[in-house]
Amino acid sequence: MIVLQDYGVTLKQLTHDKIEMVRRWRNDPKIQKYMEFRDEITPEMQENWFRKISSGNTDYYFIIEAEGREIGLINIRSIDYDKKEGEPGIFIYDDDFLNSDYSFRSSLCLLDFVFGELGLDRVVSHIMRDNKRAIDFNLFWGYVLSPGQEDVFNQEYVLQKEAYYKKRDKLSRLFKKKQ
Amino acid sequence: MDLNDFIKNFAEQFDETDPSEIRPDTAFHDLEEYSSLIALSIIAMIDEEYDVVLKGDDMRSAVTVEDLYNIVCSRV
Repeated sequence: MIVLQDYGVTLKQLTHDKIEMVRRWRNDPKIQKYMEFRDEITPEMQENWFRKISSGNTDYYFIIEAEGREIGLINIRSIDYDKKEGEPGIFIYDDDFLNSDYSFRSSLCLLDFVFGELGLDRVVSHIMRDNKRAIDFNLFWGYVLSPGQEDVFNQEYVLQKEAYYKKRDKLSRLFKKKQ
Repeated sequence: MDLNDFIKNFAEQFDETDPSEIRPDTAFHDLEEYSSLIALSIIAMIDEEYDVVLKGDDMRSAVTVEDLYNIVCSRV
């Protein structure tokens, strides 16, 4: 199991004993409403999904731990090692941590892993056009809307490694001071 | 430290919220625009302006702007 620990958070690779908790989180309307797939996820679907993401090295899902609590899920999935890209995602389930800096701490931890250890050059995100908070979050990191995506409902944004490292230093200093 | 200056600096972290909505008794978590990005901006502002490093639960435990001001004052 991969464990990433930095910036005051711990990311623990998802294990089978946690998938029911994640299924419950994912089926909660407060999370479901921001997902492209909004049907109820059954235990069987969850088992099949976990088998799929555990079978290779193209998907990494982590439980986010902060202050001793399991607060959400963060991932890099569908990694294409030839193109050196993958698709990240995050949700914070615990309302106490929802509008906090922990989404940034977790993202730093994941993106260091993605660009440093996995050696990817860019990450690609899809965000619903009306999800302003997620768009603002991604623009903060340096994501750029892909050409021709202006009128698409589920818009594609790309973050290049160089853009990430420009943003990383200042944020990293702030969070390192806080630990 | 001055509360009015703190409120002015606090209000500057918001793009769409009218500064008049930011008062000592404003429950800032309830503001429509409040988000993780705003929380981060406030933490960074407090670090830069007051050289105070907030702990993880400081933002959560503060209900009003004045609560946060008092936390910062206690660390200056």
